[in-house]
Amino acid sequence: MIGIQRDKRSFLRLVTGAATMATIGWASAVAAEETGPIRIGLIYSKQGPGAAIGEFLQRGSALAVEQAGGKVLGRPIELVWLDEPNPQVSQQNMQRLIDENKVVAVVGGNYSSSALAMMSVANREKIPLILTGAAAREITGKECSRYTFRTQATVPVQIAGLMPYVAELGKKIYFITPSYAFGQDILRSARGMLPAIGGTEAGVDEVPVNTADYSSYILKIRQAKPDAVIGGLVGGDFSNFLKQWNEMGMKGKIPYAAVAVTDTDFWDVGPQASTGIFIKPWYYNNPNNTPAEKKMTADFVAKYGAPPSDKAWSGWIGMRALLESIEAAKSTKSADIVTALETWKNTEGSFPFYFRSWDHQMVRPAVIVQVKRTITDKWDFFDFLKNTSDTAADTEKAFGTKDEIGCSMPAL
Amino acid sequence: MIDMIVSQIANGLVLGFVYVLIAVGLSITFGLLGVINFAHGAFFALGAYFAWQLFHWFGWAAVIFAPPLVGLVGMAVEATIVRRLYGKEPLLSLIVTFALALLIEAIIRFTWGADGKPFNAPAIFSGIVEFGPLLITKYRVAVLGATIATLLGLWAFLAWTPYGRILRAGSRDPEMVELLGINLPRVLTAAFGLGCALAATAGVLAAPLWAVSPSMSANAVMPAFVVVAIGGLGSFRGAVVAGLAVGVVISLTIQFKPEAAAASMYVLMFAIMLLRPRGLFGERWERFE
Repeated sequence: MIGIQRDKRSFLRLVTGAATMATIGWASAVAAEETGPIRIGLIYSKQGPGAAIGEFLQRGSALAVEQAGGKVLGRPIELVWLDEPNPQVSQQNMQRLIDENKVVAVVGGNYSSSALAMMSVANREKIPLILTGAAAREITGKECSRYTFRTQATVPVQIAGLMPYVAELGKKIYFITPSYAFGQDILRSARGMLPAIGGTEAGVDEVPVNTADYSSYILKIRQAKPDAVIGGLVGGDFSNFLKQWNEMGMKGKIPYAAVAVTDTDFWDVGPQASTGIFIKPWYYNNPNNTPAEKKMTADFVAKYGAPPSDKAWSGWIGMRALLESIEAAKSTKSADIVTALETWKNTEGSFPFYFRSWDHQMVRPAVIVQVKRTITDKWDFFDFLKNTSDTAADTEKAFGTKDEIGCSMPAL
Repeated sequence: MIDMIVSQIANGLVLGFVYVLIAVGLSITFGLLGVINFAHGAFFALGAYFAWQLFHWFGWAAVIFAPPLVGLVGMAVEATIVRRLYGKEPLLSLIVTFALALLIEAIIRFTWGADGKPFNAPAIFSGIVEFGPLLITKYRVAVLGATIATLLGLWAFLAWTPYGRILRAGSRDPEMVELLGINLPRVLTAAFGLGCALAATAGVLAAPLWAVSPSMSANAVMPAFVVVAIGGLGSFRGAVVAGLAVGVVISLTIQFKPEAAAASMYVLMFAIMLLRPRGLFGERWERFE
């Protein structure tokens, strides 16, 4: 009997001890969640033709964290960077960031195809995702999501900015675009605007991603004798194209115009092969840059010895918007961050830019640039021509109405 | 339209010669060593980067040293890593050389950065040449000449020199070669170095055509494998015929169905494999049976 009582006491002590340990463990986990580092995921290319782009995006995001003192809500920020090699792996990496790294939000997604794959995870797991490069219209259009925000101007906005310049070059237009969502959007948008400039289609080539040799495409373009070529090749593919366009004597003969290019495409091939008129989100040597952007440029040059590409700016502004929204929300809960992002506004320029609450598209003009006639600086390849729009009202109008965009924003 | 087709075929043949040069090194490595070298594309990229670096340090003349230098790197890799794969499962060589490819790409990125390097053809080769409907750049003519010269030199080396005979004999009957008193491990090291030097030669020639970036190996390695598979593993003649066929098929697909261009070489490979699983000129090799 005494033995049984002693066993009961031992058992009670054991249970009490275990409960105490569990309580302490739970309490310290909660404390760590409230005081430990805040993890933010990055999904940018680390390898393949997008590696240089990914590096600039990451550097821009990291610089925004550094400029914020490495903290948000008084807690240290920990960035976890995973790769964006293709849609499938990008989607898996998005899931890994959420499941294994317990991130509060993700910034990344340079390719529209990857972005669309990552969005489905963000939506399912209810984690805010800020896309910093993807431009296909459906991202903030019919596929829009409450948890996804996008910094890059949509393809229709960029094409609308480009078309008046293309119209000055001639009426017969040849298209060379990548054969995925982004390229198809370029074709759809430009074809829709051709009648407005009295243009005709001289030919279309939808090029598989990771194409190394463009000589056969260039022969076709040469044979079609267009007045201008509209392109949308990305990263290493675009660099290959530019190099061979120059090699085959086409530079200066048929004008080339494209959207969503980035500085590294040109830095990679050098002044000799660079040519054309382009739409970019941002340019480091634009005299209209805001003081904060000029400081970012100076900090970037001081840190890396080279100016920031427009991708670095995209990574920077995406991260800035996220950090400022977390501060405004005073919370790391997804719903609070999303609500704060929907009301986030940058007022440093001549007119504000923001994420539109009903489609989560950043409403901000892109810049139109032209490759300089003579390039003397290792980095400064472009003359700034103008913004795609010059007033807040024109910018809002350029990004389309609710009916045109077709986003039915779901509830939180 | 006929003009355009003729023009595309001519362009495809020139492109095909670039593929031949990339593939022939891979074919030699497999034929002589029995190793499927997935890092072949990485040595191609290394050749382009060595050329870029030598050009910046010493000028154009120094670029010629890029392939032998990569060959030396290849020999060091053989002596330390690849040697352990001889006679093992082919899957093992695939896995190890795939890891090696990733390692070399990471070293390139670490050494020269993730961004590309501007590298254009010498001024003497700028401009185009036109014959009726045919248009070809002077640089591609030079690539064609250099490729044919390299292939002829390689063929002569393998067919007519004692070293070439030892290499070929070693690939068929290594025991007999060793019994004849020849230091076979050293021969195999040289053979792997030769394969890497050929990949680097292709990289040097492609550098003014393709963007010199750490990922450029991806553009080389898959066509090389397709060419080797179509031509027959280890067949020099097969690599030449298959490389030209792949170049022409890609060019004609771009003319008529551009969005299918990347898939066209795989369709060709699939068709050839169905008809002749060993490839066009593939032979029965006792040691692989």
